[in-house]
Formats: sequence, structure tokens, C-alpha cells
Amino acid sequence: MSESTFAWLGERIKRRDAGSVFLIAPLAAFELVFFVVPFLILVRMSLNANADPGFYQPAWTLEAYRAVLASGLYRDLVVFSFELGVIATVIAVSLALFYAYAAYRATGLRKSLLLFSIILPLLTTLVVKTYAWRPLLAPNGVLNDVLVGAGLIGSPIQFAPGIVGTVIGQVYIVFPYAVLSIYSVLSTLDWDTVEAARDLGASRPRSFLEVVVPEALPGIAVATVVSFAWSVGAYAAPSQLGSGAQTTFAMEIESLMLTQFDYPTGAAFSLLMLAAMLVVSLGVMRLLTGSIGGVEGV
Amino acid sequence: MSEVELTRERVEDALFRAGYWLLFGIVMLPIVVVFATSFQQGEYLTFPPEGVSLRWYAQFFASAEWLSAVRDSVVIGVGAAVLSTALGVTGSLAVQRSDSTLARVLPPVILLPLLLPPVVIGLTLLIYFNRVGFGSTYLTIVIAHALWATPLVFFVMQSVFARFDWDLRDAGMDLGARPSRVFYHVVLPNVRSGVVISAVVAFIVSLQEFIMALFLKSYEVQTVPVLAWTSLQSSLTPLVSVVSAFLVGVSILGVLVSAALMNIEWLAEQL
Repeated sequence: MSESTFAWLGERIKRRDAGSVFLIAPLAAFELVFFVVPFLILVRMSLNANADPGFYQPAWTLEAYRAVLASGLYRDLVVFSFELGVIATVIAVSLALFYAYAAYRATGLRKSLLLFSIILPLLTTLVVKTYAWRPLLAPNGVLNDVLVGAGLIGSPIQFAPGIVGTVIGQVYIVFPYAVLSIYSVLSTLDWDTVEAARDLGASRPRSFLEVVVPEALPGIAVATVVSFAWSVGAYAAPSQLGSGAQTTFAMEIESLMLTQFDYPTGAAFSLLMLAAMLVVSLGVMRLLTGSIGGVEGV
Repeated sequence: MSEVELTRERVEDALFRAGYWLLFGIVMLPIVVVFATSFQQGEYLTFPPEGVSLRWYAQFFASAEWLSAVRDSVVIGVGAAVLSTALGVTGSLAVQRSDSTLARVLPPVILLPLLLPPVVIGLTLLIYFNRVGFGSTYLTIVIAHALWATPLVFFVMQSVFARFDWDLRDAGMDLGARPSRVFYHVVLPNVRSGVVISAVVAFIVSLQEFIMALFLKSYEVQTVPVLAWTSLQSSLTPLVSVVSAFLVGVSILGVLVSAALMNIEWLAEQL
């Protein structure tokens, strides 16, 4: 062993405080005991046999998976959950990009107001965010009064309960998180870069698309992943603002677990759903990075 | 710049401004509905509200059921804040100063619960706690909420620690102080506001969370959002507006108090 190796070792030992092992241990143990192990138990539960009512038979069988995959009802729920996830994510992220940009450009009181309007819904429980829309979107609600009064529609439309209400509710839930993810990235953007593009003759929409949006991409990616994960798993918005046609997989899981006590089916359904979400997320990521590569190649 | 371009810029500006003020209005609308309807008179939730009264507030403060839900929410919120702040701050400190495999694997793992649908975490923990026979509902919900709050604390502290000058700590160590003393006297004063903000965020996350709390509730212990949810299943009562206004109020108060504390500290440092 050379002298430098010893010097390197000595440096390592001096730098690494023995304390860091004790510091990291509680968090690692917590995640192991209350996240990793419960997940393994979930997988094990999905392989048990269902015995009615509300009991399960210890077994090693794929019966629960077969039941979920064979069910046309579950297939419809999954398709609807993904549709809602995609629609809510596209709307929420586009609006969030616009709003985050407005907050980034604003100054003084205007900036404070815009940021306050993002923080305040974060301090509000899901239950409130969804139920407060009901008097607004109901057939005899405020929106219909306004639209009928203005002569835009002849007779009231039932926005909620229904698909429109569900989408509005879900977009409203994820919107603040999407704005914050994009804003946190935008806030580090130097405005001079955009000015430079404009001085070089880029129009304002063009400088936005070609300078601001690429800079904001990491934030847009985070906003997309978070909005999508939460919207596919939507529970509060469809049950408060949807009709029977807007049943999502999360609502079915709740019913399987808390009403029917069918643990194996609930576990198998969740795991299949997570696998599907993973595949779709990876596909979206691939698409996004692919298109970035294309832009850079130009 | 030509006249046409100037006009176009003015139109663009006007559209841009109209766009974000419209969004601002839509975002604030439900919160306005909550506060306005909490003062209404009638039995059923209507907006705009008819008549002004405090009857729903009176009913709220007279209801043993709601008050015990408030107590449960506060106990669980404080528990989740303490647990996740302790885990997040120590974990972040360790990851910052270590390059072991564990320190590299841990951050993505603790982030994962935030990316899973809460229904899935609720069901996973429900099966788990049933299996291992965990007695206390308080503890199970605290743990569930800490799964969400810990990554938030962790990443806030990562950015706080990243700005801390570690030479100060090394100087303290070189002068012979024990690591715990160095942390208390050198590191902590510099990162205190980050810790306070993390704890407040954790408390608010727990106070508002409802799906995991719904899965893990018991007959004796249920949080305010869960009780609000169950009472909404039967009717759209203005009582829920009172409760919601109350929740929003508590959260705003939490933010203001922590901001004030930090400002007083800042003031004290200036004097």
C-alpha cells in the first residue's frame, strides 16, 4: 500500500463522522418497518384466497389477480381512472405553467396575491376543496344562474354531479402543487435571458416557448408526474362531484377494503394499478425526453 | 416599433392579465364559498348564502363529536410533526455528510410515498397494522402522515443544509467540542428557521390529510376531515363550512405564528 492510500484512508476516516450512521438509522428503520415491509405484506396478501364474508384463506394463488383481470367492471374503472388522470393532468399543468409564469413576472403586491392564492388552497383539506364546488356547479347553482342569465345556455346544465364537476374538482386539487413545482424552477430563471431573445427579434410567444418553457421543463416534469399520480388515484373529487358513471379505481378500493373487507382482491387490484401507472409514467417520461432531444437536435 | 406591433403588444398584455386574474378568481372561489356559507342561516348549504347567523358556529362549539375530532386532529398533527421533523432533520443531516450506499438509496425511497395514490398507502398500512396488531389508532395515523411529511421535511432541510457553511462545524469539532454540542451551538442556530418551517408544513399536511386517516380511523379516533367527509355523505350541511373555515384559520395561524417567531428571532439578532 502506498503512502497516498493511507493518506486517503485517513482523510476518509476523519471526514466520515461515526455519528452519521446513528443519524441515518432512525429514518432508514422507519422506512423499512412502515413502508417497505408493509408493501411486502401487501404483495403477500394479494396471493391469499378470498373467503367470504370478509375473511381470507392463507394460500399461494393468483386467484385475486385473475378475478380482477377478468372483470369487465374493473376494466372500465381502470380505463376511466386513466382518462381522468390524463385529462386532469393536461389541464392542470398547462394552467399551472401560465399561472406560475404570471407569478414569476409579477412584482410587489400582485406577486404576493398570486402566491397567496396558491398557498391558501394547500392549507385547505381535500374534503373542502371538493365540496365547496357543489353549490357552484349544481343544476340550480351559481354557474348555471350566470350562464342562463347571460343567455348563453337555454336551460341549466348539470355540471355536478357529472364528469365536468369531477374534472374541475380534480384539477383544483392538483393545481397548486403543479404551480409550485413550476414556480420553484422558474424563480431561478434570469429574466435577462428572455430579454436577450427578444432583442434578437423573437416575438413574445416565441421567446416564451423557446426560452421560458425549456428552462421550466424540470418543474413541468415534476408537476406532470405528481398531478398524474394523484389524478389516477382520484377519490375525493369523483365521489363528491361525480355521478355513478365517474367511479374510479380508488373508490372501488375503498369499497373493497372498508365495506366488503375483501383484502386479497383489494391488494391485487392496487398492485396491478401501480404496475399500469408505472408503465404509463415511464412511457410519458420517454416521450418527454425524446421530444427534448428533438428540440436540442434542431 | 410599428404602430401595429404596439397595438398587438397591448392586446397581448391585456389578455395575459385578464387570464391570470380570472384564474386567481377561480382559485379563490371555493374558499370564499366556505367562509361565506359558514355564516349562513338556512339548513342547507346555499351560495350566495341567505341570511347571516352564528348558529352553525354555536352548534360546532356545542358538539362533543366535533370537538373530540378537533382534539384527535391536533394530537395526530403534533405527533406527525414531531416524528417527521426528527426523522427528516437527522436523516437529511446524515445524507448531507455521508456518501455511503444507504445515504444514496434512502432519498428516492422516502420520496416514493408522495408519488403513490394515498388510497394505496392507506390500504397497505391497514393490512399491515391489522396483521401486526398495532393497538393505538393515534399512532397508526401519525405513522401514515409521517410517511408523507418526512420527505417534505427531508427535502426542505436538504436545501437548508446545502447553504450551511460546514467549515463552521469543522472548526467547532477541531476545537474539541462533542458532535452533539457542535450541532446544538453551531449548526442548529443557523438552520432553525428551516426546522420551524418543516415542522409547520408537517403539521398542516397531517391536519388536512384525509384518505389515509379514513382508512385507519376507528370508532374512538377520527380526524376532522374524516368526520366532515362522513357527515357530508348524509347531507350538505353548513356545519362543514364552519369546520373548514376553522381548519383554514388554524393553518393560517400556524404559518403566521411561525413567521412571527422567526421575525422576532431576526429582530433579537439585530439588537
